[in-house]
Amino acid sequence: MAFVRLACLTILIIAGSAYADSLVNGSDNPIAGPVVNPQTNPKTDANPVVRFHAWGGSAQVNSYLKWVADRVERKHGIALKHVKLADTSDAVSRVLAEKAADNLHNGSVDLIWINGENFAAMKKNALLAKGWVGDIANFALTNPDSNSAMVTDFGEPTLGMEAPWGKASMVFYYRKSHFDSYNKPVPQTIHALLQFSQQQPGRFTYPVVTDYLGISFIKYAAIALNSSNQSLFYKPVTQNALEKITPSLWTYLDALHPTMWRNGEYMVRQASQLQRLIGSGELSLAFSFTAAEIPSAVERFDLPRDVRTFAMSDGSLANVHFIGLTFNSPNQAAAKTVVNFLLSPKAQAKKQRLQVWGDDTVLDTNLLSPSQKSMFETQQSHPSALDKSQSTPLYAEPHASWTDALRQAWEERYGARY
Amino acid sequence: MALTLRELEIFKGSALLLSLDVTVDEGEILTVMGPSGSGKSTLLQAIAGHLDTPFSFSGSISIDGTNLASQPPHRRGVGVMFQDALLFEHMTVEQNIMFAMPSAKYQTKSRKREAVAKLLHAVELDEMQHRVVTTLSGGQQSRISLLRTLAAEPQAVLLDEPFSKLDTALRQHIREWTFTQLRERNIPALLVTHDSADAVSAGGQAIELSSC
Amino acid sequence: MSNFNSQSTPRSRPQSKPLSKPLYKNRNRSLAQGHFNRIAVCAKWLLLCLLIIPVAAGVIGVFLPAMGYFPAIGANQFDFRVFAALFDVAGIHTMMWLSLFTGVVATVIAALFAFVLLSVFYRSQMLSRLQIVLSPFLVLPHAGAAIALVFLLSPSGFFARLFTFNSSAIASANEGVFLFDSYGISIILALVLKETPFVLLMAISVMSQPLIREKINGYFKAGTALGYSPIAIFFKLVLPIVFPQIRLPLLAVLVFAVSNVEIPLILGPNDPSTLAVAVLHWFNHIDLSMRLQASSAAVVQVGIAVFAIIVMLAVEKGFTFYGKKWLQRGKRHVTDKAISAIAYLLLIAYVVLVVSAIYTLVAFSFAKQWTFPNIIPADVTMVHWNTVLDAVLTPLSNTVLLGVSVSFSALVLVLLTLESEPLNTGKTRASLLLPTALFLPLLVPGVAFLYGLVWFQQLILKDAVWFHVYVAHMVYVIPYVYLSLAVAYRKFDNRYVMVALSLGKSPMGVFFLVKLPLLIGPILVAFALGLAISFSQYLPTLLTTGGAISTVTTEAVALAAGSSARLSAAYVVIQAVMPLCGFGLAWWLSNILFKPSTTKISTNKSSTGKSVRSV
Repeated sequence: MAFVRLACLTILIIAGSAYADSLVNGSDNPIAGPVVNPQTNPKTDANPVVRFHAWGGSAQVNSYLKWVADRVERKHGIALKHVKLADTSDAVSRVLAEKAADNLHNGSVDLIWINGENFAAMKKNALLAKGWVGDIANFALTNPDSNSAMVTDFGEPTLGMEAPWGKASMVFYYRKSHFDSYNKPVPQTIHALLQFSQQQPGRFTYPVVTDYLGISFIKYAAIALNSSNQSLFYKPVTQNALEKITPSLWTYLDALHPTMWRNGEYMVRQASQLQRLIGSGELSLAFSFTAAEIPSAVERFDLPRDVRTFAMSDGSLANVHFIGLTFNSPNQAAAKTVVNFLLSPKAQAKKQRLQVWGDDTVLDTNLLSPSQKSMFETQQSHPSALDKSQSTPLYAEPHASWTDALRQAWEERYGARY
Repeated sequence: MALTLRELEIFKGSALLLSLDVTVDEGEILTVMGPSGSGKSTLLQAIAGHLDTPFSFSGSISIDGTNLASQPPHRRGVGVMFQDALLFEHMTVEQNIMFAMPSAKYQTKSRKREAVAKLLHAVELDEMQHRVVTTLSGGQQSRISLLRTLAAEPQAVLLDEPFSKLDTALRQHIREWTFTQLRERNIPALLVTHDSADAVSAGGQAIELSSC
Repeated sequence: MSNFNSQSTPRSRPQSKPLSKPLYKNRNRSLAQGHFNRIAVCAKWLLLCLLIIPVAAGVIGVFLPAMGYFPAIGANQFDFRVFAALFDVAGIHTMMWLSLFTGVVATVIAALFAFVLLSVFYRSQMLSRLQIVLSPFLVLPHAGAAIALVFLLSPSGFFARLFTFNSSAIASANEGVFLFDSYGISIILALVLKETPFVLLMAISVMSQPLIREKINGYFKAGTALGYSPIAIFFKLVLPIVFPQIRLPLLAVLVFAVSNVEIPLILGPNDPSTLAVAVLHWFNHIDLSMRLQASSAAVVQVGIAVFAIIVMLAVEKGFTFYGKKWLQRGKRHVTDKAISAIAYLLLIAYVVLVVSAIYTLVAFSFAKQWTFPNIIPADVTMVHWNTVLDAVLTPLSNTVLLGVSVSFSALVLVLLTLESEPLNTGKTRASLLLPTALFLPLLVPGVAFLYGLVWFQQLILKDAVWFHVYVAHMVYVIPYVYLSLAVAYRKFDNRYVMVALSLGKSPMGVFFLVKLPLLIGPILVAFALGLAISFSQYLPTLLTTGGAISTVTTEAVALAAGSSARLSAAYVVIQAVMPLCGFGLAWWLSNILFKPSTTKISTNKSSTGKSVRSV
């Protein structure tokens, strides 16, 4: 065993910091009134624990949630635990499995960050608590009565099962130095994108369709390539509708794939890898659903300074993302307290700051007091940030049923890529 | 004190390896000789209680009429010495000897210390107490090893070629010294060796085993 | 010899036992050991249970759904439809082939590389230096090694930077042939890189066993006298002794290679991927009915592992067959020069890889802007490390807590098991079961039994996440701790124990006062090895906790596909440093623990004796 002979390294000895696995108290909390403060003394053993299952692939989101956890601990004595998911469907199938195993009151997931088909799946299987969102005091600030996007998730009514948390739309970003050396304009439409990729092979790709951003790109392409049939996308999918829109999509992708990074033979599994490849310079053009992550990635040196962000002129896919409360959460009262905090002007304003996360608020700023409003007006411009003065058409998300239909059709044609 | 082996038969599997019927009187040193594989060491292991499969034995082994076979090795009061001194390297000389002393006899640590000093003094190894054993010469190690064995106050001692690793000049000296110590204490001993000079010096009965 | 008074000198060897006389054998032993022995025997059975039950339960838990039995989704009919559906999945045959091909080829190459290195260095001072060069890749978890390779080999990676001389060049996008390739070459590369040191180490530890070492020395002398070159002696005389001893570990490597998830996930192809990656995907699929397909694929994965073992044994037979002819030809030299050249090239390759990987990862973890093709970052910053240290505290304490408790309890169980029965003797039921049981978790692909295990865990003690992850880690840690300590036990001079017992100390006293202190070096190394194995577990941690308990390795794999190369690099650095800390600690402690106290010695000059214990 020669490796013991290796030079003894400067050792970081971790004092066995006892990690007490928070066992859930089995009591089935009755659903309390609006937001109650469940604990006045955070030091007692009965500190409620709220497990928030949320995608954990972004350092910004993770540190924002850490800040949230600090606040709710201090203010409400709630231990908020961010369970970092690589894939949100992991948590969905966990809750589903719990339901199958007849675990109706003591689930391991309290809150879950979802939208789209994950929500549709949870709704279909009745995995979410119903009608709880009305109990959240700050939910009124989203102006749900006149803003249907706050109560509709990919065409599905939310029925009070999930509270809106943030807004996002698809943006593209590119390496300016690359385009300077190609001496080419930056593509502004879906057709220009193909032209670019044909002229500069290997400089663009999109993630596999099991990835959220991957399927979003397919939706964007499908809508943009079928501008005359757009209304089809906002009704539940039918075989007929699918057959109408796929021909132009396949023609496009058949042409695009061989020109992509690695000749389209390998496609990245996760959207976050796109950013990595832009950073390393292998890609020249990529896209994201969180415009704010681009300048903040530049600030963190993960992207070079010559990165610029823009929105496609033929339209951007836009959606709202939500927080669901599971039907079998043993900590519903505490979980609602957390959600109310997440919807507070303070938390929303912090989230919208570029340096923090840059996720657009779901609050209707017209309903806020002047002092609350001012918290949202501290944005500085960044050369890599999206110029918000430009207005581009937004595509609402197609009905949730389209996601599966498009994905299946894609996988049948191009192979399931795990 | 006398060590008696009565109709002792040692088997390897089902094959008889050796049989023996002998009494070693107190102060006597019985020499057992024989070629490799004749079962010399196995005989010692049977007496000390370390016999392992595939070996087994029948007959009786007793000291002053007490049957040893029913005792676990550590209750037999039979000291063993090998060709290596086998001093415990994580202990000093003093700790090695104190390790062997019966706790019942010495109530306190300081009593043990005094006893160690006395033992060392008697063999002219004064001031050795706190030496690290790996710094000792071969002859010193052999002597400490015997002192350690004697400190346990054994009722019999088994010697498995204890001098074979020492060079000729030293061997004779250590041998005489060892035998003297054993005789002085009236301990019956059984010596296994290749060296006929050992047998002569031991002066007791001698048994030659045949190869099998 | 005048005074011979021989009482009896038997010459006959009776074939049957004399039944009339009492035989003292087992009774003797059980008497001898008493309570301590009873505890030790209990420990042995506990250890066997810990190895066998999770694996068996896991296999059943995956086999039932594969046969169509999965009550949770209303499937309770036994049939083969699930398999039929599996074989209809597009690309399934490519997946199976990819798993088999990458695993077998990587294992064969790793073994050949290890033997080539050994043949050239087995009798030289270089051997220990070689081990030092290889150790970073030995202790680095598989995931870490794969991530490190991506940093080096991608078209914008360190090697591409080294060989790009135009400072305004743009990183190429499609030229890098080594990553994500559809033949699985990159998977093979990573596996070879990781497994060669392991095979080498296994062989070295076999060769250092006293009996084998003696034999090898003898053969070497004989071979040299006959005019064989050292390299020829290795292949013609030494390898035939060593190989049977490392066959099982080699097969464990093989099974891991055909069924591991992290390496193909990080740098393998995905059109399609290897079967194991697909299994992972299907098991995690939102649609529960996909579990049927996943389970059947897991069973197929076991089949692939079995087939790979058969292929491997056939390869071995082939080598033996030609080897015999080759032996008879009696050439005194094999292609010595070529083999030396390969060995030195390998050595250089490892040095280059280790140095570049360390540089790239450390530099990335501190880098500000670092554009292609610069080989040094524009500036350095602590911002990434601040982020990492902020976020790593929980995973790190989880990792350490889990590692220490798993490794420590594995160590206790293994020590007691080794105590319960002296090696190479007993033929009790437990001791016959042990060698098989030890390799059970290593020979059944993790993707197969871990899911089934999770299924059972969901049924019983659903909330005891720590317990489940503890069991899953134990399953993988025990075999390595056992194998590592068994070597030391075999080398241990048992006469120390005999002497101590004869001095009147009880078996338990002897164990604690003599055996533990004398074996402290190997024991601490086994503990550090257990830590390292626990640190590196990805799939067992992920599956049994459902992501609720994150460790440094699960975080590292999650970040491997994350947006920040810098954070990913920092995590690999932590992954590499942690096991090194374990081994460093083992080395340091073994030098200070159980040393004779030197405080009282003022008269003695040379107070610190050099210990000659085997490590």
